Amino acid sequence: MTSEEALNKAGALLAPLGSETPSPDPLRKDAILPPASLPAAAAALVEQGEFYLSAITGMDLGPEAGQLEVLYHFCHAGAVVTLRVQTPRQQPEIPTICGSIPHASLYEREVVEMLGVNILGAPDTSHLYLPEDWPANTYPLRKDFVAPQAPDSAPEVGESQPGSSTGRFVVPIGPQHPALKEPGRFEFSVDGEIVTGASVRLGYVHRGIEKACEERNWTQGMYLLERVCGICSHTHAFAYVLAVEKLAGVEAPPRAQAIRELLAGLERIHSHLLWLGVAAHEAGFDTLFMYSWRDRETVMDLLEKLTGNRVNYSANILGGVKCEITSELAETIRQGLDFLENRAQHYLTVVTTDASFLQRTRGIGVTTYEQALHFGLLGPTARASGLVRDIRVEAPYGAYKSFPVSVVKETAGDLEAKFIVRIKEIFVSCAAIRMILDNLPGGELAARMPRKIPAGEAISRVEAPRGELFYFVKSNGGEKPERVHARTPSVNNFASVMQLAIGHQLADVPMILAGIDPCFSCNDRMVVLRPRHGSPQVWSWDELLRYANQVVRR
Amino acid sequence: MNSFQTLFTFLIFPSGLSVLALGLAYDWAGRKVVARLQNRIGPRWFQPLADVLKLLSKEEVEPSGADRFLFMALPVIALAGALTAVLYVPLGGLGPAFSFQGDLVVTLYLLSLLTLCIGLAGANTSTRFSVIGATRTLTQVFSYEAPFLLALLGPAIAAGSWQISEINSYAQSHWLVILQPIGFVVAMIGLMGKLEMPPFDAPEAETEIVAGALTEYSGRGLALFRLGKDVELVAGLTLIAAFFLGGVTNPLSFLLKTLFLLALFAVLQTLLTRLRIDQVARWWRYGALLGLAQVMLMILWNIWQGGL
Repeated sequence: MTSEEALNKAGALLAPLGSETPSPDPLRKDAILPPASLPAAAAALVEQGEFYLSAITGMDLGPEAGQLEVLYHFCHAGAVVTLRVQTPRQQPEIPTICGSIPHASLYEREVVEMLGVNILGAPDTSHLYLPEDWPANTYPLRKDFVAPQAPDSAPEVGESQPGSSTGRFVVPIGPQHPALKEPGRFEFSVDGEIVTGASVRLGYVHRGIEKACEERNWTQGMYLLERVCGICSHTHAFAYVLAVEKLAGVEAPPRAQAIRELLAGLERIHSHLLWLGVAAHEAGFDTLFMYSWRDRETVMDLLEKLTGNRVNYSANILGGVKCEITSELAETIRQGLDFLENRAQHYLTVVTTDASFLQRTRGIGVTTYEQALHFGLLGPTARASGLVRDIRVEAPYGAYKSFPVSVVKETAGDLEAKFIVRIKEIFVSCAAIRMILDNLPGGELAARMPRKIPAGEAISRVEAPRGELFYFVKSNGGEKPERVHARTPSVNNFASVMQLAIGHQLADVPMILAGIDPCFSCNDRMVVLRPRHGSPQVWSWDELLRYANQVVRR
Repeated sequence: MNSFQTLFTFLIFPSGLSVLALGLAYDWAGRKVVARLQNRIGPRWFQPLADVLKLLSKEEVEPSGADRFLFMALPVIALAGALTAVLYVPLGGLGPAFSFQGDLVVTLYLLSLLTLCIGLAGANTSTRFSVIGATRTLTQVFSYEAPFLLALLGPAIAAGSWQISEINSYAQSHWLVILQPIGFVVAMIGLMGKLEMPPFDAPEAETEIVAGALTEYSGRGLALFRLGKDVELVAGLTLIAAFFLGGVTNPLSFLLKTLFLLALFAVLQTLLTRLRIDQVARWWRYGALLGLAQVMLMILWNIWQGGL
């Protein structure tokens, strides 16, 4: 089914349930629904229309309008259908759609805690990102939000004794744990070495970026959004500038588009090599870890030569890019790619033939095609299970129309398949970059952008190394965005891990977790607590020592 | 043997300072080789010593819920066991300090003491990581202890003696690595398991259970356990070199043979992925069978020879 057919089908499905509103984009369809018919519409789109839920955006239309609006974005290839539901600010109530789409729960929790929408019948409404002691009835994404003061006392530290009152033996992993390079908290209840239950708590690196974007101008927001993630920072800026350019009706020149795709390709190589090392380390194969990270230096150096930065590249500007590719630089990149391809070939041999490594990956953590669909998996994680979700191919954006990439797909769904998919994607990226270097369009690097962006809404979907990255940007015609919403692929993929871990050996859990290539900082985005001046949050060394001793001796 | 000599034996050579220094040096050599194989630079020569000194000077944090006496005593017992074992092995190729008929069995048990202490130390604290680590440590003890013992019995049967010094002198004329290759392989892997080296490091797999049984040890206790492991590494390497690699008769042959074995360990550590604890246990079923087959062959060979 093509995107156009899918849109027509969606129109037919939604016609009896709500009214359609005009949409700026030919591949989008917006429908206004009364809250009561939302679950039926969602179910119809997913079950009959072959759409998948990509994101839920919550918006506050402001105290004057007195309404909250929640947008449910469903995608099929290039088509996006948005269900718009409004509910009064005083008593916001919307029914859950978890009945037909179980993985919507994470998005619904975000809407609950950020906007205070009461989701009727939701399986879980506990905090996803905000701390447990967050003050009640304080919703960060409401327009009249005032940051609460930091609490006077440090939060209570829970008792940690094995075999708690529930009689289960719980192994906590995180927030600080050698297996996690980023903070998150997982609790696995185990029976001997077998995992019998799992739960996750995120939000430890929540920085309030979406909210902060509303207080910055269009350009500043881009630099901030780049810092959502240190690994796929270009992708975040890429998605954001695409959305803003769409709003402004400006198209970046072809040369800039090509350079953006080239950067995305280099970034994907960097991300996949990084992942390869981390995953090998989780399995206890440190040699592969050291080698792959050594080789990753090559691609980091290329990125540095190109943009001047190794981590947050800041290569984009609204309307184009600011880095140029000279012929010497192109030659350096080609040489780097030769080396990287060579190495990737070697790693492919290692992960498919090394007997001791295969013992830890083959047949472990299997995600079937049906499970991938059920959990709404994205990116390489989905492609390892035979589910093709790749925006670069399904709905080519930017230069991907002129420099297409091929899809890598495996069907086994186990950890080995995830290794193979990611390593083969390195080859695909290398090929795409070579093609771009050979046929780099000439011309300007950037188009002129207005300082004020016309009012409107734009959606951009970009394939990040971890899967589809979804951006929703709304402008009110001013110098600052009205709302920026980013839905990162890790959120989608997380829910599956908790289910998959059950029944596995404890030793396999870190690898299964690593298998989705989780990015915690991508997950955690919003709201900061402003510490009070001279508050007890600033501790002297003695106080810290006393507190540490208190915790240990208890 | 006068008391001065005894003190020298216990505190300076072969047990005591010299073996501690040797253990730290071997620890460094092993780490350095692994680092070079993994494309890293690796530690400087004094790094293990610096680690131990730093740990010794650090505050020992006592976890709540642990038995205080055991918490303090276990590292000491572990190190003492390893140091005592050194008295019976031909360290430096100079012949054991003490020797009697059957000292092989005593030495093997003294070498197990360290692992048992680590297991107990983990079970003593109530942290989940320690408890799981302890379970894994003890599971692994049962997995490799029997094969390791059987593998070292092969040379003993061949030499017709259970005394390490006699086996050592028998081995000088018989390179048992050629005559008993199975025993050699099983003994090597057994020692890796004893020392919880990769790929047998499931009991201290940092990505799952932080540092396993020793998670709660921070200062002195951790230093003593690490020293104990270093000493055990030297003792174990000496035993295997003496039994299988043509004996150790002088410091040069000792160094060459043990360092060769150490390099072999480094290569194995680099090449292999950590085994899950169930995979370790499964592997050792074959290990025990192989060791047993080796011993049976030796006994049959002896009977056949005796019959002639």
